[in-house]
Amino acid sequence: MKNFLTVMLKELRESFRDRRMMLMALVFSPLLTPLLMMGIITLGVSKEKEKLDKELVLAIEGQQHAPNLVAWLRSQGVKVKAAPPDLEAAIRDQDEDAILAIHPGYSKAWRANKPAEVEIVHDSSRMYAGTVVRRVENLLENYGRVAGTLRLVVRGIHPNVTAPLRVAHRDVATPESKQGMALMFLPYILLLGAFLGGAYIAIDATAGERERQSLEPLLATPVSREAIMSGKMGAASVFALLSVLLTMLSFKLSFGFMPSDTGLSFDLSWLNIAKLFVITAPIAVLGTAIFTVVSANSKTVKEAQSWFGVLILLPMIPTIILMVSPVKDQLWMFLVPLLAQNQMLVRVLRGQDISAMEWSIGLAGTALACALLWFFASRLYRREQLAISA
Amino acid sequence: MIEVQGLHKRFKTRTGDVVAVDDVAFTAENGRITGLLGPNGAGKTTTLRMLYTLMQPDAGSIRIDGLDVAREATAVRRQLAVLPDARGVYKRLTARENIRYFGQLHGLDDATIAARIDELADALEMQDFLDRRTEGFSQGQRTKTAIARALIHDPKNVILDEPTNGLDVMTTRGLRRFLQGLRVAGHCVLFSSHIMQEVAALCDHIVVIAKGRVVAQGSAGELRAQSGEDNLEDAFVKIIGSEEGLLA
Repeated sequence: MKNFLTVMLKELRESFRDRRMMLMALVFSPLLTPLLMMGIITLGVSKEKEKLDKELVLAIEGQQHAPNLVAWLRSQGVKVKAAPPDLEAAIRDQDEDAILAIHPGYSKAWRANKPAEVEIVHDSSRMYAGTVVRRVENLLENYGRVAGTLRLVVRGIHPNVTAPLRVAHRDVATPESKQGMALMFLPYILLLGAFLGGAYIAIDATAGERERQSLEPLLATPVSREAIMSGKMGAASVFALLSVLLTMLSFKLSFGFMPSDTGLSFDLSWLNIAKLFVITAPIAVLGTAIFTVVSANSKTVKEAQSWFGVLILLPMIPTIILMVSPVKDQLWMFLVPLLAQNQMLVRVLRGQDISAMEWSIGLAGTALACALLWFFASRLYRREQLAISA
Repeated sequence: MIEVQGLHKRFKTRTGDVVAVDDVAFTAENGRITGLLGPNGAGKTTTLRMLYTLMQPDAGSIRIDGLDVAREATAVRRQLAVLPDARGVYKRLTARENIRYFGQLHGLDDATIAARIDELADALEMQDFLDRRTEGFSQGQRTKTAIARALIHDPKNVILDEPTNGLDVMTTRGLRRFLQGLRVAGHCVLFSSHIMQEVAALCDHIVVIAKGRVVAQGSAGELRAQSGEDNLEDAFVKIIGSEEGLLA
């Protein structure tokens, strides 16, 4: 135990003296991730609002066929302008988000009480045009409903006759649970931070020591290899947790500055911060254990780092799976490391409770995985080749 | 005291098995400096690695102060100071921190460590760089740090792999004085070298190794007599039967 602490403190001391790594792990990533996320959300929300509030400028082709419709649109605040000669080219070149084309037979059909044809020309693969298209659709639907109601009334029929059903929504989502996109990303960012936070030290302390050939004298001391390895893993875990803690604190602080009209309101109370920390902590250990195993198999830092590309995907898997095929929470999920943490983080952020059963299964599953990896790493540490680097 | 008997070690490589150590036997007594002399690739480092428990011999036995290395590896390591071929000092730590770390790993308390560091720093003349980070140290400063680190727990047996490699004349002479001091204090000193002058100047007992086998052993005088050559270098060449590896 004492040796474990000695090794851990030495590794931490050495790491804290590596200024570049310190900046990366403890300053840049905890500060930049919340900033990046806030920036993206704010940008998205303000863009959407801008489109909704902005005066709608609409190019209309064939205005002479439906003067009443055009006049009504104007009365609704739409700024009407003449359509360009080639509608499709104008959309393709992004000169217009959407163009309304009124069919030449419009007035004839209208007078004959037949559906009059109008066409919205747009490109559905352009996301930014979606808001404009929806606004035009809404306006046209309103106009149609008003006209339809008037026609029924003229014929002495109550408008309700044509509305046998009235569908209403009752939304039970809590304000916290509505934040779909942010809820997808925040757990991922926290898990990735915890998973990779200790990777650099884990690689440096094992593969780095092999490369610098300082493992040979170290393993010639009476200290057991398990204690040495655990000390190194301990240091990397402490570092990862520190990084996670800083990320969470910076989220807590930065969400205070978030513009309120973004509609984002996570429950980032101190109690929840503590819960998030307890949930992510095992992932820090899991990540360092995996990178220790990888490092014990690599002769150089470079060789160990080549695993980064693959291993970085690991914490993404649950997020991606849940994004592609969302499933209901089930108990077995809490047994799978990373998936369990993902679900638990989402619960906390949505302001939902986690049962004692789920807590214990979630922690036990990951603890078991860590123990297995530790055992595997200690087997690798006992190999003769480990100390012999050259 | 280090007793080695019938030591064998082979490595598997892609092109087949390589016998690195083949039936090596010798004894390194307390109060004596024993030299393991041989050309590059003779199996010196592999032999030493088996002595300090980092490699398992395929056959043979090693006893250090009467303890069997295979069965009581941890106890053996307590009795050993080890300077490996690669010095491996931690660059981001100062020389003192490097030494203190090993003292702690040997279970020494802070006061003992501080006293030992003073003692070793005086003996190895390392006072003026003791509190500098070892990044940018000269080869001599690195070796001294590694030796002090290895000796922090004042063990009876001292194993050094090519201790004078890459050192200038002054540092080498200082190191020789240091090793002679260890002999006087009754330590068992075993070191490897491929330089005859080095071995001749220091050793009471010389074990000549070539191609994994012990080809001769004895004092410098005995080796000269055995080979019928007056000059130790000629005696060495005659004993190992080739000049290969001597010039490196």
